[in-house]
Amino acid sequence: MFTTDTTATDIELDLDAALNPGEVEGLYRDSRECAYLALLAGGGALLLSPPTPRPKKG
Amino acid sequence: MDQKHASSPLAGAVHDLATEVVLALRSGDHLATVCGAAGIDEENRTGIAAVRVIGADLLLPSVLYGRHPHPGDVAVLDRAVREFPPKPDAPAATAWSHWHMISTLQRMAPPAPGAAAPGTYAEPDAAWLEEAPWQAFTHQLSVLAPLAVPAAPSAVQRAAANRAVDLSRGFVRAVRRRDWLQAAGAGRWLAATGGEPATLGLDRGLDFVELMGGHDPRVTLHVRAARLMAEARAR
Amino acid sequence: MTTTATEDPQGRPGQDPQGRPAREPAFTPGASGASGAALAVLPGVLASALAWTDAHRTRFALPDDVLEPHTQVNATLKPLGELAQLGSTIRRTTAPGTPEHEVAGDLVAYAWEQVHEGALLLELLRAEPFAAYPYEIYAAFAGYGLRHEGFEALARPLTATRAWAHTEQHANRQLGLVNSERRVGVVTHTDAGGVLSRTWLGGLSEPWMFEGSSGYALTHTVFHLTDWGRMPDRVPKKIDGYLRTWLPAWADGCLESGQWDLTGELLAVAASLPGPAPVELLDAVWPVLADVQHPTGCVPETGVPAEDPSPDPYPFIDCYHSTLVTAFAAALSLRSLRQTDERAGRPTGEQTGETTPGRERHTP
Repeated sequence: MFTTDTTATDIELDLDAALNPGEVEGLYRDSRECAYLALLAGGGALLLSPPTPRPKKG
Repeated sequence: MDQKHASSPLAGAVHDLATEVVLALRSGDHLATVCGAAGIDEENRTGIAAVRVIGADLLLPSVLYGRHPHPGDVAVLDRAVREFPPKPDAPAATAWSHWHMISTLQRMAPPAPGAAAPGTYAEPDAAWLEEAPWQAFTHQLSVLAPLAVPAAPSAVQRAAANRAVDLSRGFVRAVRRRDWLQAAGAGRWLAATGGEPATLGLDRGLDFVELMGGHDPRVTLHVRAARLMAEARAR
Repeated sequence: MTTTATEDPQGRPGQDPQGRPAREPAFTPGASGASGAALAVLPGVLASALAWTDAHRTRFALPDDVLEPHTQVNATLKPLGELAQLGSTIRRTTAPGTPEHEVAGDLVAYAWEQVHEGALLLELLRAEPFAAYPYEIYAAFAGYGLRHEGFEALARPLTATRAWAHTEQHANRQLGLVNSERRVGVVTHTDAGGVLSRTWLGGLSEPWMFEGSSGYALTHTVFHLTDWGRMPDRVPKKIDGYLRTWLPAWADGCLESGQWDLTGELLAVAASLPGPAPVELLDAVWPVLADVQHPTGCVPETGVPAEDPSPDPYPFIDCYHSTLVTAFAAALSLRSLRQTDERAGRPTGEQTGETTPGRERHTP
């Protein structure tokens, strides 16, 4: 049968929250920029060149 | 019950139940009960509360495939309606989801002649929805996503149809905030009522939302419902 | 960056501090979203952003070693070029005789003085003849009627080459080059329409893929297409409808995440659309940006606004651009709102209801 009063109250609180959830926090993240993968002449090594400074404005 | 990732017993039960609804939506020809598969019967109060949260979507596979619901699921949904009626001061969304459970039961499993009808049937107020800013409107509609089903007219559904551009903006906003559940709910409404601007790209957007947020079975549930409704509209 | 609704310094319309939607909109006159809310704050925002810029004009001054290879262009010539570009737009957007018109004119004259009436730009071009940016900076002045014969003499053969026509860069930047050519008055190296169709905006991209980089690409596409808001009628109808439909969703995210600089650019785009102003959007967003603006007039690029009442709460490099953009967007918005009122035969400031002409058609 049904559980104790305490648990029942917990369930009702959880239920009220589940039926009327507030908005979750917005998670904002923009893409990073990655410079070209450059093939170094001579060494033949694939080099990830240092990222260009991300322009702060357009 | 898999509660490894759940924040509460109720959240775990909702997760399991939504997973079973998704499985039933996928198979399309399920015979077993959704509640039975999720280990919920009429004596399990946490399970009944989870049914209250999932609401009329418990019968969604039957609603969308046009089948008779399993009597066991009907009984548990009916139990949830009676066990957790909205309190007098309950928020409008709670009143609306409760109303929709009753309305779905009456449509899908009408009581035998002479039997008592389950509870009241009057539509709750919806004027607040029409006035809400588009951000709040989308959030509330997303909470009420179970009402986004074919042939289930309501004031909420009319508000959704009248504010398709606002809902589309809300979908865009939800994706930018990475609120996958809200995006899935808004996308489900758009699939149900149509009218979204052509540039929205809803199909690809829903694919994206499912892949990003599909760890929550409620996201998958809404996206699957949206696809089934969009396919039905296209026919 | 990650923010929550609770960190939002303004409390956006329709949200309580916990981020839950308010069930009853609590709009009060002059508050964000109320009819006339933008016009209530815009004159003050414009005047104070310009006053800050004027008071900090020496920070735009070019250092003596500006032409040396080690000098950072982005910290010297770029801010000065932006001062010239946005200043000249504000000058042309404001009415003669108003204080804003005068200050904007002074700022452009100051910038022209800094480049020695164009002679320094010629030196720059001689030092880096194959770069595009000297031409773009020069065009900011040329579009305003400030010209240098020697610069144009050297630029002429260079901009007539195949190499110039095939400069490899983003489509929105190429549109900027086309606009620069138009301003200088030479034959453009390619058709603007073809370039436009290659931009994120011109492709009518799925609006849910908007983020910072596509946002700046989009705003600059509109700036170059319309010659910085001067020619709204160059915006094709489809793009007009697309922007009117999605700008509110994008601006909302910029406000919540504290991207004030991009918010200002989106407002400038909204005010560069042909036809009536998108009043509802301007009324919702401008009061929020006005609150972010420091009492001295500067606007931070991103993040939680400083409580510090001192004259310089932010490093110059972190606020000059957003402050210029705010002034530019405010001048364009005032023009757009006033023209909308004139067309409707209303005294300025008495909008009624939503004006959303040309909003995208729904899918069938």
